[in-house]
Amino acid sequence: MAIGTLPAARAHARLPWRTRVREMLDRERVLGPLFITPALILIALLVAYPFCMALYFALSNAFIGRPSHFVGFRNFVNLWDADAFRQTFQNAFVFTGISVAFKLVLGISLALLLNQQLWFKRMIRGAVLLPWVIPTALSTLGWWWMFNSLYSVVNWTGISLGLLDPPGPNWLGQRHYAMAAVVTVNIWRGLPFFAITILAGLVAIPKELYEAAQADGAGPWARFWYVTLPMLKPVLAVVVLFSTIFTFSDFNIVYVLTHGGPINATHLFATYSRMIGLESGRIGEGAAVSLYLFPLLVFVVWAQLRFVRKQAY
Amino acid sequence: MRRVNRREFVATTATGLAGILAARTAPALAQAREISYLCWNNFAPASDKKLSEIGQRFSKDTGIKLKIDHISHMGPQQAKYASEVQTQAGHDLVEMRMHFPWLYEPQLADVSDVVAGLEKQYGKAISSSYEGAHVHGVWRAVPQYHGMFVCTYREDLFKKASLKVPDTWEDLYTVGKELKKMGNPVGIPISQNYDSISTAGPVLWSFGGMEVDKDGKTVKINSDGTAQTIEWYKKMFKDCMEPEVLSWSDASNNESIQQGKAGWIHNPVSAYIIAKQRKLVTADGINHHRSLGGPKGRYETDTPRHIGIWKFSKNIEASKEWIKYLLGKKETYDEYIMSGDAFNLPVYTKLTDHPVLRTDPKYAALKGEGVEYHTYGWPAPPSDKVQLITNAYILPNMIAKAVTGTSTKDSIAWAENEMKKVMAG
Repeated sequence: MAIGTLPAARAHARLPWRTRVREMLDRERVLGPLFITPALILIALLVAYPFCMALYFALSNAFIGRPSHFVGFRNFVNLWDADAFRQTFQNAFVFTGISVAFKLVLGISLALLLNQQLWFKRMIRGAVLLPWVIPTALSTLGWWWMFNSLYSVVNWTGISLGLLDPPGPNWLGQRHYAMAAVVTVNIWRGLPFFAITILAGLVAIPKELYEAAQADGAGPWARFWYVTLPMLKPVLAVVVLFSTIFTFSDFNIVYVLTHGGPINATHLFATYSRMIGLESGRIGEGAAVSLYLFPLLVFVVWAQLRFVRKQAY
Repeated sequence: MRRVNRREFVATTATGLAGILAARTAPALAQAREISYLCWNNFAPASDKKLSEIGQRFSKDTGIKLKIDHISHMGPQQAKYASEVQTQAGHDLVEMRMHFPWLYEPQLADVSDVVAGLEKQYGKAISSSYEGAHVHGVWRAVPQYHGMFVCTYREDLFKKASLKVPDTWEDLYTVGKELKKMGNPVGIPISQNYDSISTAGPVLWSFGGMEVDKDGKTVKINSDGTAQTIEWYKKMFKDCMEPEVLSWSDASNNESIQQGKAGWIHNPVSAYIIAKQRKLVTADGINHHRSLGGPKGRYETDTPRHIGIWKFSKNIEASKEWIKYLLGKKETYDEYIMSGDAFNLPVYTKLTDHPVLRTDPKYAALKGEGVEYHTYGWPAPPSDKVQLITNAYILPNMIAKAVTGTSTKDSIAWAENEMKKVMAG
């Protein structure tokens, strides 16, 4: 029988395997999922699995190394009875609200400054990123030394300049000062993220808009208010969204600086969850702490993404 | 030699691998005896160096490779235990303190045989070791050493200001006022750390208070003894200390006296040991005195440490060999204890009058004459619940609330409620 009369499938089967693989990879239906699979596996292993485990723990009375039972929403209800948790809840909103507000205002100011023609512009832009690049635990350790009651360089400088009365504030030992300290470090750490992202947005604004506004007699403030800010809105929404989520779930700064103290005055969900779940062994309650705000954060993400889409189209 | 073709190689390795997976054990040849040991960064750093040196000798003598990892302080240590237990993976041996073996009882191997051998050799383990590691009649960890709290003070400053060495907590208030005026306040942490509990416990006991009753069930924090304790802390905080104590870690009081600030702290001898080793100018001026008393007695905190072996370890027998090597050879145990410079003291009765106590006259206070030593939570019998009350820092938080404005009554009511929740949980 002549080869030309063989059915197409059998003819295909006779092709060398390398050619067959190449042909398969040429098909988008095969190649697309193949490229996505590693990422999906990673997400399933590193995000979905831990999330499902956390959900399971949160609904159980799991205790380190002992059998657990399903308890429904009891952990969530019990948590609200603990004043340390209510304090943590309040702290999270105070910490996130103040930090994000300051990062937004300072971030816009810094971005506007970096957008000017400056000497050593590249070097300055690089330097601005430093707090974002240095590992948080290490940089916070530096801040700890600066705020530590025994070695505080902040107090020493303030006293030397006559701005503070000796011995100066007890930054990490008094509730309001401690909150101020953790907020300060969070702003310092998060500011570059705001500044650089907003700077990217600023650079993308067409110059013609400013020229037209100027021709219409708009001053610097009017140009900022009616041109810069509206054009930056989608970028600002995304930056605020990310920062809100990161700030709510902050751990390193509080853990290194205050350990959640004094008297739980600076505990955030992550640090309180660690204390309950890992240090006290009550894994179930610890998981419930960490998931408490999940529905709210999902709503925030949904609302902000909706806003961004509206702005984009 | 016969050449193995590709097909034979694949078939042989596949069969071998299937066998290993089915047996879940490496073949005998590949079973290198290797164990890992997690312990804390000792406050007497020379002790860690000695431990590493003994570990190397152990590996050389037995052929068992030993890896020693250190972790700082207790907070991270607890988290590490928890994650190892949850994942059923990690170190073979872990150093534990206080009642931790009670918390992790189901996960710890029975080491009664090792302890029986040590007790035969050195006499019975001291009571605090029994309280901490003898769980429901089974040794869940091997008593290793203990650290005793004592009063550490700047003798030079006391002499300069003609201050009398205190004998009671009330005496401390009297001298504390003068110390604060001199710029050398008393340094007792009131924060979420273990040293805070190590001081709050003896003060509470000496005023007749307790957290949980002897029955181990009834919360007894709401008492006159607790109210007196809080009133004492309030006046100490106001007149003898600085607010920094609210933010202190376990190391802060040590640093404060070493750096020349605090005039009096309540701590094991580690502050002095480090000052001496680092040749700090304060070292000569630091001394220790007998623990303080109150209306209901003179108490002190004892912090026993033990070595446990996780049940999930694949090398339980090799791990026991290391414990026997470190603690079971008298000369090695002595060597280890001596390196701790009286911070690590032996926990077996025949060794309690150890030569390390005579290496420096400033260790005389460690003999603890007339002092009753207990672990956290006394007089309640040891249990996981007692350890949980400790780990939730209820006692120092109650005091911190009181000294920062909450009424004594409300602070006690808060602590009572928190403790009842732990006991009910």
